[in-house]
Amino acid sequence: MENTEDFEAPGKAMPGAGAPAAPRTAAVPRTPAVPPTSAAAPRTAAVPPAPSVPPTSAAPSVSAGAPGQTGWEARRRLLQDFLLHRARDFTAWLRRMRTRLVRRWRTSLQFRTVLVTLLVAFLAFAGVGAFLSNQIANGLFQERLQQAKQESSRGMTQVQESFDNAQLSDLPSVSTYVRDTLKLLEAGGADENRKYLMVEIPGQTNSLSVSSSDSGGVTRAIIPAELSTAVQQNSGQFWQSIPLPIGSKDVHPALALGSRVNLLGTDYELYLIYDLNNAQDTLNYIQSVLWLGGGVLLLLIGGIAWYVTHNVVQPVSHAAAVSEKLAAGQLQERMTVNGEDEVARLATSFNKMAASLQVQITQLAMLSQMQQRFVSDVSHELRTPLTTVRMAAEVLYDARGQFDPINKRSAELLYHQVERFQALLADLLEISRFDAGAAVLDAEPRDVFAVVEHVLDGAAPLAEQCGSELSVVSTVPGNSSVADMDPRRIERILRNLVVNALEHGEGRKVEIYVGSNADTVAIAVRDHGIGMTPGEVGRVFDRFWRADPARARTTGGSSGLGLSIATEDTNLHGGRLEAWGEPGNGSCFRLTLPRRSGTALSVSPLQLPPDGGDSGLGGLELHGEPVPADEAAIKSATDVVSGKITL
Amino acid sequence: MKARILVVDDDEALSEMIGIVLRNDGFDPVFCANGEQALAVFRSAKPDLVLLDLMLPGMDGIEVCRQIRAESDVPIVMLTAKSDTSDVVRGLESGADDYVPKPFKPAELVARVRARLRPGDTKAPETLTIADVSIDVAGHVVNRGGRKISLTPLEFDLLVALARKPWQVFTRELLLEQVWGYRHAADTRLVNVHVQRLRSKIERDPEAPEVVLTVRGVGYKAGQ
Repeated sequence: MENTEDFEAPGKAMPGAGAPAAPRTAAVPRTPAVPPTSAAAPRTAAVPPAPSVPPTSAAPSVSAGAPGQTGWEARRRLLQDFLLHRARDFTAWLRRMRTRLVRRWRTSLQFRTVLVTLLVAFLAFAGVGAFLSNQIANGLFQERLQQAKQESSRGMTQVQESFDNAQLSDLPSVSTYVRDTLKLLEAGGADENRKYLMVEIPGQTNSLSVSSSDSGGVTRAIIPAELSTAVQQNSGQFWQSIPLPIGSKDVHPALALGSRVNLLGTDYELYLIYDLNNAQDTLNYIQSVLWLGGGVLLLLIGGIAWYVTHNVVQPVSHAAAVSEKLAAGQLQERMTVNGEDEVARLATSFNKMAASLQVQITQLAMLSQMQQRFVSDVSHELRTPLTTVRMAAEVLYDARGQFDPINKRSAELLYHQVERFQALLADLLEISRFDAGAAVLDAEPRDVFAVVEHVLDGAAPLAEQCGSELSVVSTVPGNSSVADMDPRRIERILRNLVVNALEHGEGRKVEIYVGSNADTVAIAVRDHGIGMTPGEVGRVFDRFWRADPARARTTGGSSGLGLSIATEDTNLHGGRLEAWGEPGNGSCFRLTLPRRSGTALSVSPLQLPPDGGDSGLGGLELHGEPVPADEAAIKSATDVVSGKITL
Repeated sequence: MKARILVVDDDEALSEMIGIVLRNDGFDPVFCANGEQALAVFRSAKPDLVLLDLMLPGMDGIEVCRQIRAESDVPIVMLTAKSDTSDVVRGLESGADDYVPKPFKPAELVARVRARLRPGDTKAPETLTIADVSIDVAGHVVNRGGRKISLTPLEFDLLVALARKPWQVFTRELLLEQVWGYRHAADTRLVNVHVQRLRSKIERDPEAPEVVLTVRGVGYKAGQ
């Protein structure tokens, strides 16, 4: 094995030795330190001309001396900048390519598969190729070696026999004899490229000794010291692979076989050198065939991988595209079905799924549309007679003073129940409009305080009736906070919350807290009445649910739908409506709205409940104080933290 | 003199009931149950105010509204069973001054009618100016650059209300109270739609108003 490596080494070293030289020579004209005029001129032309050194100033620079020097300096700097710029461009391009490749790798299954297949195939080919070429090289070498050993041992024996028979007395004839004998070696083998070298083992004194003899082109220098030592000290045959210089620059792999011979009492090292260039050529040829074959196979495998993955991935990506379109609402979108294979089955079942989805969705859409139309129709059809009934009831009610007691009471009952019926109908229609998805948000920027004040104006008579005091507690500096809202809906929510609070407030005070931060506003309505159990809090937004069915419906309009409608209105705004309650400690409803419609809600600026759930009793003292003093005190003390307005 | 009111509604019972209420309050009702005949009845009866149902057989209430508005500035109050935004806004845009959603109370209806019939108080001769628009309050004439602009009484009232106090920002609620005569909560879309209609008549570019300016989050004010 060691030998085969040596055997290959010179052949491989050749292109390797040439390679580093090429860029070095190419780099020479690039070094800006020594710019020949001819080379510098086109180079500066590529550089954007600097305003201080126009290109024309370069021409007289030879005679100009000092300005010319600075011209070169400037050019040098320009060139440096240019190269730096180019390098930066190149790295930027590399980075772009990398991100593009990484994205491709992540998004394209086909790209990934083909790349991996190519890589694995390349590694396999490289492995197999290396193994094969190694085996072949080894085989070739061993064969040559055996042959050479046999030949050389035969040759050596002949030479030694011939030397033993030599009867010579003068040096020139010894030289001639040696040359003639050794000539036989050169021509004797099947291989033309056989050379010989005979050198005297140093340290002998004999008058009839030739110092060396060779067949030309080989010298003592090519024999490794190791081999020569082995030959000098032992009898027998030794061999080693060596690089054999041919001419001035070529080096061929070669085998050197050596043994000791004796001529007229002088010991010589006799080497036979076998040039292995033919074997190397054969090996090179086989290797290039292997490389070429491997490359072609690699391309073929890449192509096959591309084709197969394309065939598999293409329908998948087609399905993905189609399902994206389906998801986007293009329900009539379908996959194309080709043939009867698995892919076609996928397409067929996909299409079936899409068709059934389409049917379902159209059906649902139709139902929703029908529901909407039904709501609209009922709304119109019921409202017109109801209007008549209501007007008639009111006319009768207004004239009840002229009726006898029975008719009078009947007129009163009719009037109140028509009112109730109307409120219930309005709520039902409203909720079915939400269910049908027909509710539309009509948002505009409004001041929360104005809306709250409006609601409180409307609730004032009921508050008076219940004996509760309504007050606004603001944590907003300046008592103004604008948010996108549908005022009709927000007023409806707040009216509902306030009326509920008054109804369940047991005549104690009801506070409306208003808070805001950068992107949300919150309004909390807090009463100190009977409160709610956790179970009741959980059900309070359910339709037709009442905390206390036995409780008198003092306000008429409570259908049990109020908070459900409030929830729907809140959802329409993208807001949140939450409840809190403690039996005997009152309850609190908090409405949180985004300032900009369509934005996500952040943390509510108010706590639930805002006063931390304190009993209302502590607060009673507070609102016993004279109101203007209270307001002035708080406002002057902390302008920002809190202001309290009592209506 | 009794004010004559044209009631256009296909529901006979409701028409009759409205008639009873209106007569009770000293008005002189005229009836029409069909959209197609509405315009003819309007021309012959010359009412002081029209109560118009939006859903009519024959011709849509909105279309009737548009036709009446095309030839007269008479106040139009819509009766609507649909309180959906699009219907109300469509009705207002087609020229109605106000609307009463069904089911309404008799008092509510009468209040709306009275508010629209408010006799033009004998106004003192007064000329107001906003931007390049001049308003002759007594003569009920609006000019811009010497050219007369035709406004309905409601639009005129709206413009005058803004022009009288050019330093003040009017909230929609305040305008509802001053121009429409609502004392309690009402639909602020009335203001929005009528401001748009007013702008389309008096502004050079309604997209970039100079006469009636919007104050974001508050309301409207007169331009300088």
